[in-house]
Amino acid sequence: MSLDFVVYMMVNTLLVIAAAPFFVSFIKKVKAWTQGRRGPSVFQTYANLAKLLKKEVIYSPHSSRIMRVTPYVNIAAALVASLFVPLAFVPEPVGGIGNIILFLYLLALGKFFMALSGLDAGSSFGGMGSSREMSISAVIEPTTIIVFAALAFVFKTLNIFTIFSVTAGSSTPVTPTLILLGISLFIILIVETSRIPVDNPETHLELTMIHEGMILEQSGRNLALMELSSGIKLTLLIALLINLVLPFGLGTTLTVAGIAIAAVLFLLKGVLLGGIIGLFESSMSKMRFFRLPSLFAMAFFFSTLTIIIEVFT
Amino acid sequence: MTDMASIEGIIKILFVVVIIAAAYIISTRNILSLVSVYSLQSLTLAAIALALWIADGKIVLLEIAIVTIASKVLIIPYFIATIQERIRIKRDIEFHYLNPTTSLLVSMVMMLVIYFALSRILPTAPGTPSLLFFGAVIGISLMLMGMMVTFSRKRAITKVMGYLSMENGVLFFGMFVTELPLIIEFLIIIDLIILVLLTTILAVGIDSTLEEYHNRLHRFHLWEDKEDAS
Repeated sequence: MSLDFVVYMMVNTLLVIAAAPFFVSFIKKVKAWTQGRRGPSVFQTYANLAKLLKKEVIYSPHSSRIMRVTPYVNIAAALVASLFVPLAFVPEPVGGIGNIILFLYLLALGKFFMALSGLDAGSSFGGMGSSREMSISAVIEPTTIIVFAALAFVFKTLNIFTIFSVTAGSSTPVTPTLILLGISLFIILIVETSRIPVDNPETHLELTMIHEGMILEQSGRNLALMELSSGIKLTLLIALLINLVLPFGLGTTLTVAGIAIAAVLFLLKGVLLGGIIGLFESSMSKMRFFRLPSLFAMAFFFSTLTIIIEVFT
Repeated sequence: MTDMASIEGIIKILFVVVIIAAAYIISTRNILSLVSVYSLQSLTLAAIALALWIADGKIVLLEIAIVTIASKVLIIPYFIATIQERIRIKRDIEFHYLNPTTSLLVSMVMMLVIYFALSRILPTAPGTPSLLFFGAVIGISLMLMGMMVTFSRKRAITKVMGYLSMENGVLFFGMFVTELPLIIEFLIIIDLIILVLLTTILAVGIDSTLEEYHNRLHRFHLWEDKEDAS
């Protein structure tokens, strides 16, 4: 493992942790603007997390070890997954890091434990949340695999680092396949981070909640860890999308100035995408649960089309 | 010829836009956006014709682009939007045989079948331009996707939208494979305009006598007689 890679690991992890709460609250801010409210400050999520970290943890007397372990498994899976998606600078891949399939399964590991913890406390809301989450995961899984398979097929590699260095080095800004992949990845992002046509991230008072239902029983610093890990997941998927579609500024060599510029550019592009996500969420209403497959079929269609186009031309 | 290569790149992106629009037309339940997406699709077709004209220099392509913009981007969507506004149907949520999800999956399979079928008919020697082949595949799929919209929707107005997007497929195919004579293209467009006019009849009710029909037109504010005031 080279020195470059060690630096990359530290910079990337810090950047992800620092950016995650910002994106979460920025999307909230955009939604507030579209509703004509001022909304909480963009630093609100940092304050929330800091407050939650200081509070004590309360466990339900019915809960088992799963409940105690889940937040740590979740944050660990999210942080390891964060190593797989370079935000500002792409080093040479080392070992299995950057493998797209491992990345997906790390996210699935966190999701699995979250669903278990929803069941574990014995509250009916948690159980409903877990049940829905698992049904959705079962339906979205083939789509996710096809989308990432299309990605791998287009770039002829399974490694995210290699994909990013190809996009960063390419001269043509837009290709048909990138448009289609962008749409599919956007749908995956919406589904994976429990956003509006699928789930409502605003509230845990609705009976239709999914993600919020599962973490309803978490409290104190465990809750902070859960929220942070879902923020990290959001940031990673945002990074995946923008470094594919708008890769300019992404560094491939290690210099301090390069990383700083790339990090600032990443934040700006993230703000742009966050704005799009916020507008998208504001313009949609939540879909009925059994109509969700039509959203997934859209992603499935576009990613299969990507593969077909690659074969055609 | 770097110019040629960049035009080809643009045309490929436009292809993708056409397919996205077709997928949207198949799966949306909102009639308002259906009309605007249809006119976007037609505009894209016109843009493809223009790009081909720049590349080829055949004047007929320019004419097709102009006719398409005039009829399918402006006149027909305007008519449909007016009808839609008058009869106050905003959504079409009923489907026959296929729901949107299945239609998307079916159209995907169809594209593959068409791809394999065409690869046996059209000459695909390594030297031939892949753009034409690709265009032919998309043209026929667009036609069949339009057909699926026509038979899977229940409302007359969305059936007509399906028919219109089917015609877009014909135009698309014609642009890439068999150069339609302009006169035929013209006749098709006149047919389409008449069809859209007929839609008013279908949408308002064909099962009536002439007087009753006249009354219904009044009721939906589709017809306003000046003398009626007296």
